[in-house]
Amino acid sequence: MMAWSRIAEIWLIAWRCGGMARRALWAAKTRSLFVVAGVALGIASLTIIVAAVDGAERKANEMVALFGPDAALVLGGNIESRAVGQRTLTLSYDDAAALRRSLPGAYLVVPMRAQSNVQVRYAGHVTQVPLVVGTTAGYARAWDWPLSEGRDLTEEDLTHSARVGLIGDTIAQELFGKQSPIGRTVLMDRFPVQIVGRLSYRGVTGGGGAVDDRIIMPITTLTKRFHLDRKYFRALRVKFHDPEYMSAHVENLRSLLRHLHNLRPEEEDDFSILTADEILKFLSTFKGGLILFLGVTALVAMVVGGFVLANLFYLGVDERRSEIGLKMALGAPRWAILVQILLEAVGLTLIGATFGMFLGMAMGQLLARLGVLEILFSWKVFGFALFASLAIGLVFGLKPARRAASMTPIEALKGC
Amino acid sequence: MSSSQPIIQLQDIEKTFLLGDLHIEVLKGVSIDIGRGEFVALRGASGSGKSTLMHILGLLDRPSGGRYLLQGKNIADLPDDRLSALRNQLFGFIFQTFYLIPYITALENVMLPGLYGATPARQLKRRAEELLSQVGLADRLHFRPGQLSGGQQQRVAMARALLNDPQVLLADEPTGQLDSATSAEIMALLKSIHGQGRTVILVTHDAATAEFAEREVLLHDGLVQNR
Ligand SMILES: Nc1ncnc2c1ncn2[C@@H]1O[C@H](COP(=O)(O)OP(=O)(O)O)[C@@H](O)[C@H]1O
Ligand SMILES: [Mg+2]
Repeated sequence: MMAWSRIAEIWLIAWRCGGMARRALWAAKTRSLFVVAGVALGIASLTIIVAAVDGAERKANEMVALFGPDAALVLGGNIESRAVGQRTLTLSYDDAAALRRSLPGAYLVVPMRAQSNVQVRYAGHVTQVPLVVGTTAGYARAWDWPLSEGRDLTEEDLTHSARVGLIGDTIAQELFGKQSPIGRTVLMDRFPVQIVGRLSYRGVTGGGGAVDDRIIMPITTLTKRFHLDRKYFRALRVKFHDPEYMSAHVENLRSLLRHLHNLRPEEEDDFSILTADEILKFLSTFKGGLILFLGVTALVAMVVGGFVLANLFYLGVDERRSEIGLKMALGAPRWAILVQILLEAVGLTLIGATFGMFLGMAMGQLLARLGVLEILFSWKVFGFALFASLAIGLVFGLKPARRAASMTPIEALKGC
Repeated sequence: MSSSQPIIQLQDIEKTFLLGDLHIEVLKGVSIDIGRGEFVALRGASGSGKSTLMHILGLLDRPSGGRYLLQGKNIADLPDDRLSALRNQLFGFIFQTFYLIPYITALENVMLPGLYGATPARQLKRRAEELLSQVGLADRLHFRPGQLSGGQQQRVAMARALLNDPQVLLADEPTGQLDSATSAEIMALLKSIHGQGRTVILVTHDAATAEFAEREVLLHDGLVQNR
């Protein structure tokens, strides 16, 4: 069969064109360097994007895991309508009691209040705690957050407004070092609180900051000590059996709350219900924005890199007319000329992609360290960079290559 | 195909260039037969169309009119890539300005025509080394063109022209940029190439140089004179 030897010959010639491409690129180092730099910048931004989007995804999953698939968070006020002058303190202890009594499928109803930036001291150590959370009994259980030492808050603590608290792992480290915090008494804004439990280390950073630097207290104690409203609180956490019926649970919760708040059918909810699904939805719009913003940046960078490549290659083809003409005279078929110029383009974009990936990873690490972005590097980054650089090389290399290949040998030879 | 048939037959070859609205008739009906193994000089004043004719002979350009039979076959019927293959296998070229690639060595320049075929690289290299020593450059294999004299560069070009063992060698003013002593060396090499049984077509404006050939074709104003 003639076909096989012909195919083998074409491969051999293409391979040799690759060798010639390498020599030609090395001979035009400055031009090559410009193309590599242009493409590298584009690929670097692409690398950051892919890593940032993956980072956002991981973050979303962590937050959902943290939130729990079987939980709903009820906030006072309607976060969708945000009417001016709308009350946000709409959830009362009576609501909580009613839900506990009559909401089908719910096994936990925990009102939550919080006080931010409280100063805490212990034996000469002082630290600022970003969040002091008030809760009802069973915080660790409600949040699927095991204690590493001590005990959870009890009904007893609540009814007596006991001066007790659970301590986050980071704060425990700061105040007590390696010692156990259990049974010790800290001063929170000058009133003493005894630490009865220590939350295990979670390490996840939530929207506002780390989750491990918080203190948990009975909501009754928090209300008294920080002179908060005694009747209302801002948020309520509900956990359900059978999370597969979440949407039904949420509907029940909504109807019951509307009933408790005496809302007429035409009135809007004066509360908002968030579930893991809701959080995922929010995060996916956030991710969409991120992709759009960074995607446009990367696209611009890569198109700029591509144009740098195309222009420099046009110049190169012009400068090397006589070389191209000579090769044609010596019997190079048009496709071999095309292949050589394309291989030069793709070779440079691949080198650019390699540098770009390293540059992108370095910049991504930097942005992550500065807390600007969450990033996650994976093989996907590698695949995207490879694909994008091949595409840039082929798309922007094709025109100059075709121009070179379309010259007649004589046009090309006389061009010098 | 009998052996007495000319390897090249030109019949009323015309070539017209278009420069905007301007038609420049460079060849106005050139007919030449060139036999196998002939050494022919194409002579004419500068601008008489010698190079244009040589480009057509070497399949680097197509005529605007007339017929070109190569080994009895009309080349007008052949596609460009077929012409490339024919140039690669059948023709060797030597130009006034050498046309060596500056960033590769003499040896690599000589190997170039072989890279567009299936011959293994090692074999190409051996042949290139052999040819370079035949033209007296055995000790310059790894020099770049810029490190060689004009005469040496033209000898590299000659070795390159011979790499694929072509039947026809086309030389366009090969001594045009060389001093007389160097020119004599190059002409001697051309003669020995002819002595190997190849057809040699030499383009020159110089009557003395044309003397080296067995036959002279005089080109004047786009036509062949005094046959
Ligand atoms: N591509 C072209 N376009 C227009 N005119 C051309 C072109 N190539 C050659 N000519 C013209 O053809 C004539 C013959 O050129 P050429 O064959 O190079 O002559 P020679 O080699 O005999 O000096 C010249 O007048 C030249 O200007
Ligand atoms: Mg000429």
